[in-house]
Amino acid sequence: MLIQILNGLVYGGLLYILSVGLVLIFGLRRVVNFAHGALFMVGAYIGYAANMVLGFWAAVACSILVLSVLGVALDRLVFRPLQKEEPMVTVLVTFGILLVLEDVVRTIWGRDLLSFPTPVALSGTVALGDTSFPVYRLFVVAVAVLVAAGLSLWLKTSRAGLYVRASSVDPLTTGMQGVDTERLSALVVGMGSALAGLSGVVAAPLLALSPSMGSSILIESFIVVVTGGLGSFTGAFVAALVIGQLHNLGVVYLPHIASMIPLILMVAVLIWRPNGIVRT
Amino acid sequence: MSETSNLSAALAEAPMARRGIAFPVTLALVAVAGALVPGHIGSALLLTLLTQATIGAVLATSVGILIRQNGLVSFGHAAFFGGAAYIVALAAQSGIVSAEVVVVAAVLVPVVVAFAVAFVMLRVSGVAFSMLTLAVAEALHELMMRWRELANGEDGLPVRLPSTLFGLPIATFQRPETMFVVCWIVLMALIAVLWVLSRSHLGTLTLAIQDNEERARFIGYETLVPRAIVFALSAGIAAMGGVLFALYNGFVTPDVLHWSLSGEALVMAIIGGARTLWGPALGAVVFFFLRDAAGSYTEHWQALIGIVLITVTVALPMGLSGAIVLLASRIKGGRNG
Repeated sequence: MLIQILNGLVYGGLLYILSVGLVLIFGLRRVVNFAHGALFMVGAYIGYAANMVLGFWAAVACSILVLSVLGVALDRLVFRPLQKEEPMVTVLVTFGILLVLEDVVRTIWGRDLLSFPTPVALSGTVALGDTSFPVYRLFVVAVAVLVAAGLSLWLKTSRAGLYVRASSVDPLTTGMQGVDTERLSALVVGMGSALAGLSGVVAAPLLALSPSMGSSILIESFIVVVTGGLGSFTGAFVAALVIGQLHNLGVVYLPHIASMIPLILMVAVLIWRPNGIVRT
Repeated sequence: MSETSNLSAALAEAPMARRGIAFPVTLALVAVAGALVPGHIGSALLLTLLTQATIGAVLATSVGILIRQNGLVSFGHAAFFGGAAYIVALAAQSGIVSAEVVVVAAVLVPVVVAFAVAFVMLRVSGVAFSMLTLAVAEALHELMMRWRELANGEDGLPVRLPSTLFGLPIATFQRPETMFVVCWIVLMALIAVLWVLSRSHLGTLTLAIQDNEERARFIGYETLVPRAIVFALSAGIAAMGGVLFALYNGFVTPDVLHWSLSGEALVMAIIGGARTLWGPALGAVVFFFLRDAAGSYTEHWQALIGIVLITVTVALPMGLSGAIVLLASRIKGGRNG
């Protein structure tokens, strides 16, 4: 049972890193990035390529770096020019980007599943009472905890963090108060995208790499974000933990209907609170 | 936001007044002309393509009507399309009820489910709605993949049908030269029904709600039920597409529930333009012929369609049909768009 809860925590942690990127982008730009799962996938593939030549830690760094550049480009070339349009326009364009990115990755690396070896330094298991648990999975949980702690520290103590929080409540007023939301957006979308890359590369040793690997986790992170309340950092954290557990318990005990369980939770939450667990 | 909606409002209004009789007449002519097509086409390949495009057009129309009347973009209509196809396959397999009942039920069940689900889904904002449609449809896809005992998982199910359906020999639904006519008539009838509905009280009310829900509620209208009706109607149309697909294809796999099908339907609707009733259907035809023309590039079809989606969304937000309407009114010397 402890093992199952830990596994749920691993998946919840990955979901959190991915979802909080969506929340960051939504906070500044008021749009949902449908290409976020594709960014996760690109992060995993870039990590895969870098890992073969440079090793695991450099692969993580490469993924974060490339994806943050991609994120800034996304903000400058897509989100900013489309800001005056309806949010749905950006949704459709990011959906188009998702289709293109999957195709590009399929062209470079092929359709076949690739496997990303577990880094040597993090291989092996730790004993937990009478069972054991892979070190790598604990590392994933640690990364998620670090991201959560770092992000909340940044949001609460730094000036940029203050602006981001203000902007996620009301971007217009924040702009009127003299905050340069354009510059802030590039930073925040870059960060959100880097987090998608980080979750991709960190998840890679646990999953099989395929060009469509982003879609199922994207869908669960959508459930996380909607359940938590669009734009809520705390909501995404709570929802990711709960849905991570439900996902894992579902896969183990009710494999047939596992995919339905997070949805049932979400429906219940939406009936109870249409704006998500945490009100924004 | 206001710029685009002003433009689209102008587009919708300008032809509306003059189109009182013109639309049904044009539609009837197009319907008859289309039904005569198989007699003049020798190529079986082309007819197969047309039949597929027409079934795609029914699905695209269902996605389009939701955009037009509710302002909502669905990324999950494959759930209704594929759901109906699965109902046909599963119910025909059990053989308890007659095939006619199966076909009707395959349309009605998604309608009822959609109506019920609407009361939860329509409570969230537009973007969140899109996210939910994707999530719900994908959950259904996973369910069908994993639950092998129910529907044979990834391998899919054959559709077993009796020798006649609604008095027609079953071959009518399986050969492209006849099935095209069946699908074409269904599509034209659907567009006609939607035309009547969009001019009805429900049609104008849902447009008003889309424009400003707060105000509609303030005037005293219930705003959830009319939108739920449109959602259920849209689901029913997608389900009809699914039934046609199941009959024609004779086999269903979880692919009919996959998000890429929902995405394709959406792309068709966007290319054609959802501001007109016939736009999505036009988009579907363009989509299928484009795919056919892509030929050796079909390996990169996904990227191609992504680029087309981005280009149309940014450069031609009213879609092909919007451009045609605009062009037609300019040629007539009407007001400038």
